[in-house]
Amino acid sequence: MKISAIVHTRNSQATLERALKSLVWADELIVVDMASDDATLGIARRFTDRIYHVPAAPRVDGIRNQALEHAIHEWIFVLDSDEYLAEDAGQVLRNYLERYGTRYDAFALPRFNYIAGQIIRGSWWYPNRQVRLFRKGTVRWSDTTHVPPVVTTGHHRVLELTPPGCLHIHHRNYEDLRHFIRKQVEYALLDRYDPDPSAFDFSDYVARAYEELSLRCDPERDGDLSHALSLLMAWDAIIRGLVHWDSLERRTPLGYLKALPVASGKVPWWRVRLHHWGARHYPLAFFARRLVERVCGWRWTVGGRKG
Amino acid sequence: MSGNGVTAIVVSKDLEGLLRFCLDALQRALSKITSTMPHEVVLVDNASGVPYLDDLYVARGVVLLRFDTPQSFARVNNLAAARRPNDLYLLLNNDVLLEEDALVCMLRLLNREPGAGICGSRLIFPDGTIQHCGVVFGPDKEGPYHCWRGRPAELVPPANGEYQAVTGACMLARRLVWEELGGLDQSYPFGLEDIDFCLRARQRGWRVMCCNEVASLHFESLTPGRVELDIPSRRRFMERWGGRYTVDG
Repeated sequence: MKISAIVHTRNSQATLERALKSLVWADELIVVDMASDDATLGIARRFTDRIYHVPAAPRVDGIRNQALEHAIHEWIFVLDSDEYLAEDAGQVLRNYLERYGTRYDAFALPRFNYIAGQIIRGSWWYPNRQVRLFRKGTVRWSDTTHVPPVVTTGHHRVLELTPPGCLHIHHRNYEDLRHFIRKQVEYALLDRYDPDPSAFDFSDYVARAYEELSLRCDPERDGDLSHALSLLMAWDAIIRGLVHWDSLERRTPLGYLKALPVASGKVPWWRVRLHHWGARHYPLAFFARRLVERVCGWRWTVGGRKG
Repeated sequence: MSGNGVTAIVVSKDLEGLLRFCLDALQRALSKITSTMPHEVVLVDNASGVPYLDDLYVARGVVLLRFDTPQSFARVNNLAAARRPNDLYLLLNNDVLLEEDALVCMLRLLNREPGAGICGSRLIFPDGTIQHCGVVFGPDKEGPYHCWRGRPAELVPPANGEYQAVTGACMLARRLVWEELGGLDQSYPFGLEDIDFCLRARQRGWRVMCCNEVASLHFESLTPGRVELDIPSRRRFMERWGGRYTVDG
């Protein structure tokens, strides 16, 4: 089975070569560039002549759908320019397709996130699955930053790969915390927010902040960096709430005093405990989750929430 | 790099603390041959639970190849050799701490003995007993085993010698041999592909030497899950070689 690989770029000279080298096994390599003005295009030309230009946009997510049209093969693999794959990627992906390609339309790969020189293994950062290998026409992205795509043929057609010993995406996210903060602010400012004032509830964002703080904090695996990242992600949730409110021209009451106690009730203690337990006993939690899906038809979100 | 030097290939899974000592010792041993031979170190991360951070290794001049799924010893060594071709390949386990003069002695022996294509090295356990000083073959199902294994090293004379095989835990092989044989046989799950390699080399007229002048430290089979793969490998080996090697002694 043949695979088309698509890489999205935007001023990606620092990381692109590694990404493209890790895709040399692909039957077709497509680069979709968003108005780069550095050496990105020169690097891309060394690997492929299939380079498409798209106008600069605030997010890559909306552009992904258009790019899929350029692929000629039945299976598509999507990689970002700050990601790369291991040496065995081509062989392993073809094995997956041979073994499971008739039963599944999409494969969700775990992702190693490298932040500030460390691989983050704590809950909510890992396995951080991403739907990146899929049958053409079965996956759609929405134009929102870091929201998992929809598999149009249904969740039961997604195979979630289970570590250890499976193929991963390697994601060189952020060089240091300053880089992390800069990008988070950028994402928050460029993201799309619901324009309907009645849909805005600041306590949702504060609840999200509580969640981030408690669920992303895993110092046993990631040390003090885990404290810093969970604080930053909580801060990011609050910033997003305020940006959303500001985009509504502040016509809706912020309800700050009400939001704090309401939000704390939205994150029950048992959910935090359950999540931490699941992260530590991964195979058992994975099995329980699959069982619930089968019995109740309940669907879990595929992929990470941030990265 | 492609040329007249040595490519050292270290295959490793997890055990990063030990690996750093292994690479330190390797680089000390390589520094002894720097004036005569260029060299390069390829580290193969064979599906460690947490990948090795390449920044740490690239800074010391090591080429890092990452595999997400566990691969056979033969496959990763073949791939590393193809990626970084050189006149000589040094296969080294991540739990071998090379003695500083080990490589100098191995190279000297390899170049001195006419027709020598492969050279192994004397290895000792932390308690000072012999781990490897050449591989010999017993009759029937006994098959290949390490000569004098477990015997106090001082009781085994440090004499270089020719054997039917040596361990791939620390093995220097000429590129000519490697290419003639197509590298290690990838049908072995993990283990005995090194012995198979030596026997195939001998069939083609190459001599297999073991350098016993210097002893390096070998902890042996520290990687979890490694030992279980010996059984299918041994079965594969006996299918191919049973009754086709010379019984020693």
